[in-house]
Amino acid sequence: MIKLFGKSAELQLEKDVSTRYLPVVISAMIFLAALSIGGLFSLSNAINTWSETLTGNLTAEIAYDPAIDLDQEVTTAVKLLSETPGVTAARAIEKDETLKLLEPFLGKNAALSELPVPRLIEIIIAEDSAIDLAALNEKLVAAVPGARLDINRPWLDKMVTLGRSIQVLAAAIMLLIGGVTVIIVIFAVRTGLIMHSEVIQVLHLIGARDNYIAEQFQNYFSRLSFLGALPGLIVAIFVMFIFNFLVGSLEASMLPPLSLGIEGSIALLLLPFLVALLTKYTVRQVVLKSLGRMM
Amino acid sequence: MVRFENVGMRYGMGPEVLRDISFHLRPGSFHFLTGPTGAGKSSLLKLLALSHRPSRGLVTLFNKEVSTLARDDLPAMRRKIGVVYQDFRLLDHLSALDNVALPLKIAGARDEQIYQHVAELLDWVGLGNQVDAKPPTLSGGEKQRVAIARAVINRPQLLIADEPTGSMDAEMGLRLMYLFQELNKIGTTVVVATHDLDLIQRFGNPVMYLKDGLLSSRSAANIPAQFSESEG
Repeated sequence: MIKLFGKSAELQLEKDVSTRYLPVVISAMIFLAALSIGGLFSLSNAINTWSETLTGNLTAEIAYDPAIDLDQEVTTAVKLLSETPGVTAARAIEKDETLKLLEPFLGKNAALSELPVPRLIEIIIAEDSAIDLAALNEKLVAAVPGARLDINRPWLDKMVTLGRSIQVLAAAIMLLIGGVTVIIVIFAVRTGLIMHSEVIQVLHLIGARDNYIAEQFQNYFSRLSFLGALPGLIVAIFVMFIFNFLVGSLEASMLPPLSLGIEGSIALLLLPFLVALLTKYTVRQVVLKSLGRMM
Repeated sequence: MVRFENVGMRYGMGPEVLRDISFHLRPGSFHFLTGPTGAGKSSLLKLLALSHRPSRGLVTLFNKEVSTLARDDLPAMRRKIGVVYQDFRLLDHLSALDNVALPLKIAGARDEQIYQHVAELLDWVGLGNQVDAKPPTLSGGEKQRVAIARAVINRPQLLIADEPTGSMDAEMGLRLMYLFQELNKIGTTVVVATHDLDLIQRFGNPVMYLKDGLLSSRSAANIPAQFSESEG
């Protein structure tokens, strides 16, 4: 670690005015990158949760028809579904329960009971079951005319597509941040090379290899990046906590709280090390390339 | 040791500052390089110090032709050459001790080996009580001695000095020339560029006389008394 972040003994890069604000810029970049990672992993986790919930929980719907005995149809459907391998439970949702679900949209009204609402059956699918939902739907339709299995797939597909699009956007933002960071570092290193050209020349003439000089640059700049990344990361984590607090305080919020999971947390904590490594590699390439043009 | 054959040198697209330079320095020889200001002495020293490549001709150092050297070979070659610059080129933020230790440190020597050796050398050049002083606090002569100590710490095979006695009094100048002689006696090839004709005549070593980019060999007694004179 000391070698990685050691001081530039001969070049005295620490005294450069040109690199004084680099940690501030890196800090801002890491703040944005951390929020992007937060969004990326939270969305990924949310998509997984939606998928698990919706694929493990189906609904069968029997259309309203005044000419038939709906209760009888429901009993037949529940029996058929319960006996299907892979179905853990099938439960008829009573009419009162269905009407209660509509209350938030239509209000409490005596006339509600007169509405031609369909009857619903909640189906719980066993975990890891390879149930053929299309075949089950056909079987259900054949047994109970007017019945339909609602597998929630179209809605889920749209949500997943939306989630993935936002993930791609977050990844693009991450790439942009990485690119901008590299460009900023390149300019800072080039300035440093110009400012210290005389000392570099002396070091060369007394037998220093390019690696010896490049190490001083790369160690100094990776130290700056690492130290700049820490406050950016801390502020980003703080902002995520505040966001989660605000989301938690809203009842029935449409916004899911940020939930990084283990992978996301590790990625977040690795950010300062990754930016230090990216800086180290970038600086090394720039310095070696520039020194290669000298005698 | 050092061989120049029809060497020419120019900076960028400018005119040639050195033309058709040919000479051979045997191992263990001691030469003065002199000539009027602007004659090309510094350029010649740059070629010797491997800080520039010739525009044409062949430069052979330590039996290797410089133009064929790979970049990775240069540091090892430069470690065989000690250079004393006219403007010292010391690192102001390092102490005298650390400045002199730098070539050894760069060559990968261990700290305990470095510092004892360096302290002895600084003592020998008369700066034993200034080891921790930084160059901005030293006089011109003291800086020059630090620069000389840095140039010789590695026991170079070739020592190049550009006006080494220019910033010191006559007594100290003579002391340093005796130091160069001592190094020369143990096999170091020495090239000293100087305007000081008294010094050249006092020591009587062969002289490379440079004028208008052209080189000629002379004895110490056969140098124009004033460089501004036309040689005819």
